[in-house]
Amino acid sequence: MDDPRPSPSPVDVVVVGGGIAGLEAALDLADQDYAVLLVERESSIGGKMIALSKTFPTLDCSSCITTPKMSAAFHHPRIRILTSTELERVEARAGSRRVHLRRKPTYVDNGLCIGCRLCEYACPVEFPDPFEEGLGAQRAIAVPFSNALPQKAVLDARHCIACGACVKACPTDAIRFDQQEERFTVEAGAVILATGFGLNALGLKPEYHASQSLNIISPMQLERLLAPHGPYGRVLRPSDGKVPGSVAFVLCAGSRDLSLGVPYCSRICCMYSIKEAMLLSGALPVADLTVYYMDIRAFGKGHEQFYQNAKAMGINFVKGKVARIDPVDHDDLSLRVELEEEGGRVEERRHDLVVLAQGAIPVLEPATALGVPAAPDGFLNQPDTVRITCTDIEGVFAAGAALGPKDIVDSILEAGAAAMEAARFLAARAPASSAAGKSTASPPSVHA
Amino acid sequence: MAHVVNPDLVQDLKAFGARDIEACFNCGTCTAICPLSKDGVVFPRRIIRYVQTGMEHRLLCSLEPWLCYYCGECSETCPRNAQPGELMMAARRYLTAAYDWTGLGRRLYLDVRVELGAILGLAALVVALFVLLGGPMTTELTPEGGVQLNTFAPAHVIELLDWAVGGVLAVLLLSNVWRMHRWIVGGETGLKVPLGAYARGLSTLLIHFFTQKQWLGCTPGLTRITTTRWFKHFCIFAGYVTMFVLIVMFLRWFQTDAVHPVWHPQRWVGYMATGGLLYGVSNALIGRWRRREELHKHSHPSDWIFLVLLWLTTVTGILVHIFRIHGLPHATYITYVIHLAVLVPMLVIEVPFSKWAHLAYRPVAIYLQQVVQQARAAQAANPSPQPQPA
Repeated sequence: MDDPRPSPSPVDVVVVGGGIAGLEAALDLADQDYAVLLVERESSIGGKMIALSKTFPTLDCSSCITTPKMSAAFHHPRIRILTSTELERVEARAGSRRVHLRRKPTYVDNGLCIGCRLCEYACPVEFPDPFEEGLGAQRAIAVPFSNALPQKAVLDARHCIACGACVKACPTDAIRFDQQEERFTVEAGAVILATGFGLNALGLKPEYHASQSLNIISPMQLERLLAPHGPYGRVLRPSDGKVPGSVAFVLCAGSRDLSLGVPYCSRICCMYSIKEAMLLSGALPVADLTVYYMDIRAFGKGHEQFYQNAKAMGINFVKGKVARIDPVDHDDLSLRVELEEEGGRVEERRHDLVVLAQGAIPVLEPATALGVPAAPDGFLNQPDTVRITCTDIEGVFAAGAALGPKDIVDSILEAGAAAMEAARFLAARAPASSAAGKSTASPPSVHA
Repeated sequence: MAHVVNPDLVQDLKAFGARDIEACFNCGTCTAICPLSKDGVVFPRRIIRYVQTGMEHRLLCSLEPWLCYYCGECSETCPRNAQPGELMMAARRYLTAAYDWTGLGRRLYLDVRVELGAILGLAALVVALFVLLGGPMTTELTPEGGVQLNTFAPAHVIELLDWAVGGVLAVLLLSNVWRMHRWIVGGETGLKVPLGAYARGLSTLLIHFFTQKQWLGCTPGLTRITTTRWFKHFCIFAGYVTMFVLIVMFLRWFQTDAVHPVWHPQRWVGYMATGGLLYGVSNALIGRWRRREELHKHSHPSDWIFLVLLWLTTVTGILVHIFRIHGLPHATYITYVIHLAVLVPMLVIEVPFSKWAHLAYRPVAIYLQQVVQQARAAQAANPSPQPQPA
């Protein structure tokens, strides 16, 4: 449950990151009666998965899986959730882990806000919606997205013009322009880092000229275009609202490339690109869909069949890495590629819309917070090759893409493993009197 | 046709300078980024593939290395840092050595001690010839106050030596060009080239020899940089060819004791040519020293030796002229001997066996590309009635 007032009462486990791995780890521990504090940097839990349209290779509805998980964690009696809160430092002293956190101001008193959205309707400022990857519009004060948890308004100070319209509209006087950043420390038996991954910039590769065309989009933008509750309600290309007749997926646009400093494989792009192409073939039945690839890495369960299905559906797979993308007339794009399976000739190919498979890159905060060096690829170091969720610090565990790029299934598996490691760690250190190290003394204050 | 695989080909090309080529995973970025790669002539990946798979004969029959002007975009964008641009450079060195039937080119390229030894030996030979056969080193000046260089080294004798050395080198180089031609045209089984195709391409050969305009197709986004690079190279080319013509064909007119006024063509043509050479060669040396641009990042010893010899030849040539017209006899004679002791090894080593040979191979490759394309077109228009041998 979301806690309006951060309290320094000790907990069994602090889980950092409210994406699918963090939610899963928190639920696994809380269901064993451990008191869990879940910390999320953004203003809603749900992570990247809540923004996806469907998952591969089963084409399940992504929000239909994530929303119940979010809700289960949010309403769990043993889970306390702090959103808009960042991890600063983990101090591991003998026997205890002190987690230093920083709560950013949302300028709304969450104890009073009832999520009625009257402030959002009153706000005169609109800016590109971050949840819709910049494709829709968002108000300067708003509930982050329709199924966000907590359903509390958040004021974006970078866009607010302090006109006071929201203050007048709010029925519970919840707006607090004087809210300050708060730093506080939580004592925890164990910590699980599930901080996820970042994506490198769309314009990273200068030969792709992504900054020169609105029609070179990120995979997350396409997820939003494909989502039933997405920004346009259908798939249109951003520059002119045209229904795209020909869409290209450029794989390895941000990974497996030493010239970009990302030599490793991002592991998810092949499959989500195939998935997005499949969904597009449903949304745009007459469109030409082409996937430009170096090699298709369909290594998971059911992935190869998924790839073969996509080929059978008429999606074109062209072997060859795209070297240049040039904007041409009518907002179209011209891709230069060597067709390796057609005698190696070089061809310029024209498309209406291009999706660049960005590389999955590490977020550096968890390693910084632990004060330990990251692995050579920048993700959290895994000192134990068998117990892969252990970090360099005793009692601090990690799961999901914080350890390296991986798909949802693998992230959930790792979250379970990390929860198991944490439970084992707590039980081993528990005094004989308390059952398995659970903090029976202080049931979370949020029960009230 | 059966293929003979040479498993050591990668190691061979690495010795010629393509040190990182094993890292290539054949994504095709280099070929697709290359602005010169089009219309059926695609590189560098095809050449990388030949090297990685040991297709030695295919490599020998390739003209693509000569069509690359090393803008460096492939190396900059390579996801594996495999330096495809440097592979093309190494392939040019490899082919130069392979075209050379004497086998000397290969030894000179692969062992810098052999190359330096050959240069020093030839330089010593030139000095010895002057010590033994040189004319009197008179200190008497001409009426204009110039040195009597032709008493020490008579132009008609030097001219004869010029022609003798030039003749040998021309025979060597042309025989190498013939081998190159045989491989490139013969590499395509069953291709019959009509004589007319050879004749029709001659203008292409001359145009590309004199202008190197193929180079201007590099890096369409960076026209200014390409044009600057081309201009620097053209300065070297034009200066070199001018001096070559003056020395080989007009030595009696060029190497005079008379001190002509500045407006006399003997002086200003010489000044322009040496000025161009000095500008271009100095720029290339500075570029290779700084290693900022992709094409200058990796220097093989042969690159340095060629440029240093060319630079020394130019500077000593200029000094000979300055000392001569200012009436400094001993300085003139000694500098003249040094000038020839640098010039002769440069020509003998570089023309048939090393980097200089690209002056011939590059335009010939463009010419042969056109010839082969015309032959293919002709064959496609009139398919031969006999069935092709399987």
